[in-house]
Amino acid sequence: MHAHRPLAIPLISATLVGLTVFWAFPENLGFWRSVAIVSGWAGCGLLAASLLLMIREARLAAWLGGLESMYRWHHRLGVSAYLALLVHPLALATAGWSEAPALAWAMLAPWQQGWPVWLGWAALLCLMTGLALALSPAMPYARWRGLHNLLALAIVLALGHLLLLGLDYLLLWSPLLALALILWRFLRADLGLAATPHVVARVDHPSAEVVEVRLQPLAHPLAARPGQFVLAAFLDGPGFRGCGEYHPYTISAVAPDGEIALGIKALGDCTRHLQTVVPGVAVRIEGPFGDFLNERPAGPELWLAGGIGITPFLGVLRSGPLPHPVRLIYLHRNEHDATFRDEIATLAKIQPRLAPDIIACGDRLPDLAALLPAAPDLAGHECYLCGPPGLLAAAVRLLRQRSVSPARIHFEHFDFR
Amino acid sequence: MMRKLFLLGTGAFWIAVLMVWAGARWLPSVPEQALPPTEKRFTLEEIARHASPEDCWMAIERTVYDLTPYLPEHPSRSGIVDPWCGKEATEAYRTKMKGRPHSPEADHLLTQYRVGALEEP
Repeated sequence: MHAHRPLAIPLISATLVGLTVFWAFPENLGFWRSVAIVSGWAGCGLLAASLLLMIREARLAAWLGGLESMYRWHHRLGVSAYLALLVHPLALATAGWSEAPALAWAMLAPWQQGWPVWLGWAALLCLMTGLALALSPAMPYARWRGLHNLLALAIVLALGHLLLLGLDYLLLWSPLLALALILWRFLRADLGLAATPHVVARVDHPSAEVVEVRLQPLAHPLAARPGQFVLAAFLDGPGFRGCGEYHPYTISAVAPDGEIALGIKALGDCTRHLQTVVPGVAVRIEGPFGDFLNERPAGPELWLAGGIGITPFLGVLRSGPLPHPVRLIYLHRNEHDATFRDEIATLAKIQPRLAPDIIACGDRLPDLAALLPAAPDLAGHECYLCGPPGLLAAAVRLLRQRSVSPARIHFEHFDFR
Repeated sequence: MMRKLFLLGTGAFWIAVLMVWAGARWLPSVPEQALPPTEKRFTLEEIARHASPEDCWMAIERTVYDLTPYLPEHPSRSGIVDPWCGKEATEAYRTKMKGRPHSPEADHLLTQYRVGALEEP
């Protein structure tokens, strides 16, 4: 699937942390004071590495193994940085403890200190609050995004802490790099300078809660392939005010002239509003990202789609004849929810290698044990899965039980928090 | 997994901070080392009254210094040293540029400005 460079992110992170700590490594200091300095700078290096993975550039994402992998490491490195930075003040206090507990407390108590320590505390508390909110799964997306800015504020305050401590300017390269990466992300991704302009050319409603929009490029067309996804922000148009937020959508068709189609299900406030989108609305597109369903090995395939998870498979079916036999299991809730069902039935007539099973399973998780092929029928199959997280987890578990190796199970989460 | 690590780390951090506070509040201090019996003692509150470059006292390693006459000679930018006037500045003194402590020469220089000892809280 993705370019397999499993060591790329750990190596980049280790380099950033190693260089930062090497540059600042203390000499002739006591053990705990040294621990304090190393943990502080290690935290800075880890933060810079974490922020590098927040950059949303298609080429960088392709090189580092995809946005999902980058975001997973962004979380890991961010939390590791936080833990290292928690050690910093505690190690300073421990160094003071050997002389007098009161001195240890004087290191921590902000009212016994000045601006350098106040800013350090403010940065740590911002990081603590920002991470607590960022790791909160139940928070609505818009509020989550807004409060995520606390983490950027923590970097600015930390830089102030270091400047007021009078540290050498050269030593500040890692926090300055972190700040530069935040600016890059803000300007290129959040303000959309890296996005290409499109316009909604056509709107179809294949089911009650799904809209499929066809987007015409206004500048150069994207080099997109079916199965990839883009981040799209819908802006204003005739009688329509877009929410302007970037969300991931799978490409359900790519035309030779560069027109792309996106299948959008009403899952939140923004996507619900998009069900009423009209031709003429301006759209900004970042990407394409991911390579789900690209460069597939030769051999039979099993496709499992849940709900709107049918879109990447539909993109491939629409793009031309299948090179290998495909068994498609498409699960949907009910008749109203069976998006593209008629089109898949039509495609099956012109795609002789396609064997579709379109199954209505209500609101419950279906009996996958009965629906998925038995172990002997899965031998030699590549399995591609797209759907809600619960369905994916259950399907992966079952396929593993049926002796399908992890290398033959392909899926994407589309969870970009 | 990340959420659990965050919660564990945060909980452990605040417990450690509480322990340091409790230690400072209730544990007996290390006996005072040989200080001249007549040496004057100052509290952090008294030191805080000398918090400007024109009247700059600092507590460094439990000794109090009046650094007012020395400030113009200090090699770094005034913005680096001045904020520590009137404060417990041990940490700043020990972690100069690149995390290194001041030189033995600086330690020797400092003794000229000694005015007393830091009172136990």
